[in-house]
Amino acid sequence: MKKARLLTLALCLMLMFSLSSALGFAQTTVHVTVLNSKGEIQTQLEEIAEHYNRATSGVKVEIVPCPVGQSPFERTMAMYSAGNAPTIAMLDPADVVRFQDKALDLTAEQWVRDAIERSLDRSTLPNGRVIGFPFTVEAYGFIYNKQVVDKAVGGKFDPMSIKTTADLEALFRKIESSGTGALVISPMDWSLGAHFLAVSYTTQSANSSGIDEFFSKLRDGKANLAANRQFIGLMDTFDTMKKYNVDKNDPLSGTYDRGPELLGEGKVGIWFMGNWAWPNINEFDTANGQYGFLPVPISNNPDDYGNSQIPVGVTKYFIVDAEQSTEAQQKEARNFLNWLVYDEKGQEYVVNQANVIPAFKNVTVEPKDPLAKSILEYVMNGKTLEFMTQLPADHWSVVGASMQKYLAGAIDRNGLADEIEAYWSNLQ
Amino acid sequence: MDTAKSFLKKLRTFLIFAGPTTFVFLSVVIFPFIFGIYLSLTNWDGIASAYRFIGFSNYLTVFQDQFFWNSFLLTVRYVLYTVVFVNLVAFALAYLLTSGIKGEKVLRAGFFVPNLIGGIILGLIWHFVFSRALVFLGKSLNLELFSYSWLANPQKALWTLVIVSVWQYSGYMMLIHIAGLVNMPKEVIEAALIDGANDGQRIIRIILPLMAPSFVVSMFLTLQRGFMVYDVNLALTNGGPFRSTELISMHVYKKAFLAQEYGIGQSQAFILFVMVAAITLTQVYFSKKLEVEM
Repeated sequence: MKKARLLTLALCLMLMFSLSSALGFAQTTVHVTVLNSKGEIQTQLEEIAEHYNRATSGVKVEIVPCPVGQSPFERTMAMYSAGNAPTIAMLDPADVVRFQDKALDLTAEQWVRDAIERSLDRSTLPNGRVIGFPFTVEAYGFIYNKQVVDKAVGGKFDPMSIKTTADLEALFRKIESSGTGALVISPMDWSLGAHFLAVSYTTQSANSSGIDEFFSKLRDGKANLAANRQFIGLMDTFDTMKKYNVDKNDPLSGTYDRGPELLGEGKVGIWFMGNWAWPNINEFDTANGQYGFLPVPISNNPDDYGNSQIPVGVTKYFIVDAEQSTEAQQKEARNFLNWLVYDEKGQEYVVNQANVIPAFKNVTVEPKDPLAKSILEYVMNGKTLEFMTQLPADHWSVVGASMQKYLAGAIDRNGLADEIEAYWSNLQ
Repeated sequence: MDTAKSFLKKLRTFLIFAGPTTFVFLSVVIFPFIFGIYLSLTNWDGIASAYRFIGFSNYLTVFQDQFFWNSFLLTVRYVLYTVVFVNLVAFALAYLLTSGIKGEKVLRAGFFVPNLIGGIILGLIWHFVFSRALVFLGKSLNLELFSYSWLANPQKALWTLVIVSVWQYSGYMMLIHIAGLVNMPKEVIEAALIDGANDGQRIIRIILPLMAPSFVVSMFLTLQRGFMVYDVNLALTNGGPFRSTELISMHVYKKAFLAQEYGIGQSQAFILFVMVAAITLTQVYFSKKLEVEM
C-alpha cells in the first residue's frame, strides 16, 4: 500500500518536473504568433516571417491563418477562450475597440506619429489611447482591364471619362460590341453588402458626421431608403450592371475565383472588386499588368459627390495581446511591427510581396502593383470616399443576403429597401 | 463507524474506476452546459470582460425572432427528408447486402466509406459536383435540370443538403440494419417460407417488425444528427443562396459569434436543446412500444 502511494507521488512529481522544464526550455526563443485574416497573402506573410526570423535572433514569428469563412473576430475570440491568444491579431476595423481591455497600449510607438491622416481613427479609444496598428490601406471600385477597354473605345481609354451611370452603360455597350463580356458581378454577400451597397452610405455626406447622422436615422427607422437619392442612384447603376452581367442567366452561381479569371484573361472588361484581388488577377494576367479603378457612379450628374471618387480606407489593424502574452512576447511583437514600418527590407516586403499599401508617411517604396498605383493616384488627387469599416458585425452577411436576393430577382427594389431598413432598425 | 468506512471504501473504488471519466464529463459537458444557461441570462458579447445580468429578456427576443423560427422550420423539413430517405436507402442496401449477392463484403465497406470522410471535405467535394460537374454535364447534354447550379436556387439547395446527408449517413445506418438482419432468428423466416409467405409479405409481416430495435437506434441517430448538422451545411451551401439554407445550428452560431450577440445565441442554443431532447425522447418512447418481444 505504502509503496503504491510513494509511486504515485513520484509519478506526479516527475510530471510536474517535466512540465516546468518544458516551460523553461521554451523561454530561450520568444514565440510571437500572428493571426492572419487576409487569406490571400498567407504565403507572402509566411515568407516575410521567415525572413524576419533569419534576420533576428531569439525570436520566432509564426503566421497562423484564420480559416476561410470565419471572421477574424470569431477566430480571435475562440483563441482567447482557449487561453491561446495570438500575440498579434489582425482584426477588422470595427472589432478593434472590442478588444480594448485585452490589447496593449501602443500610444508611445514611433509609428503612431508617422501614420497617415485618419488611419488611426478606428484604433484610438475615446481617451486617446492607440491600441491598433493600421496594416493595410485598401480601396474598391470597378477594376478595368485596360487592353479590353482600349479595344472597346478604339484608342486610349480615359478612366476620368466615366462619371455617370449613362457613361458606364455606354462603356458596357462598347465592350460588348467589341466581342467580349462587359462585366462580371461576383455574388458574394460581403462584396455586395459591405462594399457595393456601402457606396450608398458613404456618399450621403462628404464628412463623417454626416454619415454617422444617416446611420442613426437608419437605426431609428427614420431613413426612407426607397426615396433616398444616393440609394436610388446606386441601384440604377446596379440594374445596369445586372443587364450586362455575363452571368445574368445564373447570377448567384459565380464564385470569387471566377472574377479574376475572367478579368485577367480578358473575357470581361470590368469587375467590381478591390485591390486585394491583384495577386489573383496577376495569376491570369494577359494585359501586361495594366489595370485600374473606375468609380461607382450614383447618378447622371457628373459633379455629384461619389461619381469621381473611390472608397479608400484602412481595412485591417493589428492589435498586440497584453492579457495572455508574456512581457518578452509583447516586446518582440512591438519590434516586429516596427520592423514592418522602418526597416527597408520590411517595407519592400510589405509593399511589393504582400501587395499591401502601408498607412505610413515614411514608407516611400514604389508599388509595382497597378491597382495600388491607381489608388495612390486617387489619393493624390484627393478623390477618395470614406471606406465604411464601422458597419455592424453581421451587416455584410444579412444585408449581403438581401442584395443577393435582388441580384437574383427574388425581391424588387422596394423589397430590398425594406429589408435593409428592417436590419438597421432591429439592431440591438 | 463501520458503515462510514465501507462508504469511504466504496467511494474510493468508484473514484478509481469512474473518477477520471466523471471528471472529464463534468468539466467538458455538464459545467459548460450550466454556465451556458447562466450566460443566456446576460448581455455578454463574447469577448468583453464585463457584462450584465438581464434576466429572461434574451429568451423573449428569441421567441419573437422570425428568422430563428424560419430557420427552425427549415431544419425540421431537412430532418424529415433525411430521416425518411436515409432509413429507406439504408434498409434497402442492408437487405440487398445480406441476401448473399457477390462481393457483399466489399460493397458493404464501399457504402460505409462516405461516413469516414469528414463533413467539411464532403461538403467541398459535393460543392464542386453541384456547381461545376453537374452544370458542365447539363450544359453539354442540354439537360435543363442540371444546366444551372442547384446551389444557386433556394429550393434545390436544400435538396443538395439532403442528398449529401443521405449519401453520408446511409452507409452507417446500413451497418445497423445489417446487424439487425443478421441477428434475426432464421427459424422464424423458415417457418414463414414453409407457410408460403412471398417476399413482400415476409418483409412487411416478419422482417420489419423484428427489425424495430435497429430502426429505433438508427432513427434516433439520424434525428439527432439532422438537428445538429453544421459541417456539411457550412461547406456545401454556407447558408446560401441568400441565407435560405441556414439550418438551425448555423443560425445559432452566426448569432453568437458573427452578430456578436452571445447571450441571444446561447438562449437559442438552449431552446434548441430542449426541443431536440423532447423530439428524440418522444421518438424513442413511441418506437420502443413497436418492438416485438420474442
